[in-house]
Amino acid sequence: MSKRAPTDWNGPVMQRHIRRRYAAERRFRLLGLGAVLLSAGFLAFLLVTIGAKGIGGFSTAFLTGSDATDPVRAGIWGALKGSLLTLMVTIALAFPVGVLSAVYLEEYAPRNRWTDMIEVSINNLAAVPSIIFGLLGLAVFLNFMHLPRSAPLVGGITLALMTMPVIVIAGRNAVKSVPPSIRDAALGIGASKIQVVFHHVLPLALPGILTGTIIGMARALGETAPLLMIGMRAFIATPPGGIGDPATVLPVQIFLWSDEVSHGFVEKTSAAIIVLLVFLLAMNGLAIFLRNKFERRW
Amino acid sequence: MHSSTQTAAAATKMTARNVSVWYGAKQAVRDVSIDVSTEHVTAFIGPSGCGKSTFLRAFNRMNDTIPNARVEGRIALDGEDVYASGMDVVQLRARVGMVFQKPNPFPKSIYENVAYGPRIHGLAAAKADMDAIVERSLKRAGLWEEVKDRLAESGTALSGGQQQRLCIARAIAVDPEVILMDEPASALDPIATAKIEGLIHELRGRYAIVIVTHNMQQAARVSQRTAFFHLGELVEYGETEVIFTNPKVPRTKDYITGRYG
Repeated sequence: MSKRAPTDWNGPVMQRHIRRRYAAERRFRLLGLGAVLLSAGFLAFLLVTIGAKGIGGFSTAFLTGSDATDPVRAGIWGALKGSLLTLMVTIALAFPVGVLSAVYLEEYAPRNRWTDMIEVSINNLAAVPSIIFGLLGLAVFLNFMHLPRSAPLVGGITLALMTMPVIVIAGRNAVKSVPPSIRDAALGIGASKIQVVFHHVLPLALPGILTGTIIGMARALGETAPLLMIGMRAFIATPPGGIGDPATVLPVQIFLWSDEVSHGFVEKTSAAIIVLLVFLLAMNGLAIFLRNKFERRW
Repeated sequence: MHSSTQTAAAATKMTARNVSVWYGAKQAVRDVSIDVSTEHVTAFIGPSGCGKSTFLRAFNRMNDTIPNARVEGRIALDGEDVYASGMDVVQLRARVGMVFQKPNPFPKSIYENVAYGPRIHGLAAAKADMDAIVERSLKRAGLWEEVKDRLAESGTALSGGQQQRLCIARAIAVDPEVILMDEPASALDPIATAKIEGLIHELRGRYAIVIVTHNMQQAARVSQRTAFFHLGELVEYGETEVIFTNPKVPRTKDYITGRYG
């Protein structure tokens, strides 16, 4: 049996090895920091330039008015109201359908070829380019069902088709993450399946479902292409009174104004972007608030 | 001797006859017949994977929730086949309560945990009735003194042993006839375990209690009847004292004396 020589911890070989390890550590930290600074830098650049350009565009008239040919009189309220109405239609359709689908697929559906196919289809649907949904909306809701053109109703339905798969996927994950022991507990004292779902599983899955829903809604809020297809790009000089009236939405308004030749619209475009970003921030804030409010620990 | 067998027969609550359980093509329980009575605490012992928990879950049809689990044979509650097509599973589980291995209180208040069962079964007409049920159940579970001033606090904030007693209170709140306990103390420390065992003693006679355990000392302490399972078969079933001191089957003796398991 050969005797093992004691390790020379202070020898040059060991020292070099240790130095190399520390260097790797430093390199990784700098790389990570650089990545964060790069993305944060772009965001800061966007905010600063947009802010500097757009801040002068704000006025009472801008916040209460609608689109106009004269940039001085052009306002954002019409588009903002259009966005609100559209999102209302979207959430009213996508949330119940999405949540019910998620619960059904997770809790009730048998595992077989059909449900596998449905699962794959839903995942694919979430990745379909939005312009396709716009074409679908144009073909089905306008040309076939003759719903009003340029209206938040049709925009909302089209965006709901896009948002629903996002809610289904988030909802399924949230339902899946409810511990099985809670289901056992409720079943064990004689709760029926539907009582287990509505008394225990859904309340515990709600924070996750709401987070997914708001992410989907934020995406719908920023969506432009499908709405162009269904005619929400018209020049609308009065705010919509309901979901059947012609309207436009914030991102489409930004798109329209950015295309204007008149110099005054540069300022208005930036101001509209600020309104859209504030709206988005408010929605994300709401998501965080709801998640904290409903989150239960065990 | 004659009279004691008669009372035992009168107190018989559940009977299993030639019960087999399959998970897909794998047979987990083989042709087991057993009687469970209110008079005795029945313990199921055996090495891990011997089918004792699976068999226990057949009594209140909890295996129904597992896809492609299949039960054959007959299990009856008061002579009524629990797998008959007319049997209401929801009602069955109210009559045959269950306590699980890991304490699983709902993330709700202590009061709500106990009140949930009576509420869904419509057992309390007024708030005062419900208060009485909650108090009685927590008292029977030996938890009332510890929690009576903080019923609104979350059940999940209790210690592990208290959570398990809360789960027992939740099970007895719907006034079941049978309580199935699936290794109820295996996740608890020795002091909490002793409390659960004392509780089982007190509940005996009021409810038919079946306890699955792989702690043989625990089976010897709390039960009057013991069933030894191995590889899905019921190897030996009889009075706990006999099983532990003078088992008839060599396999039982080998397990009891720690030769395998």
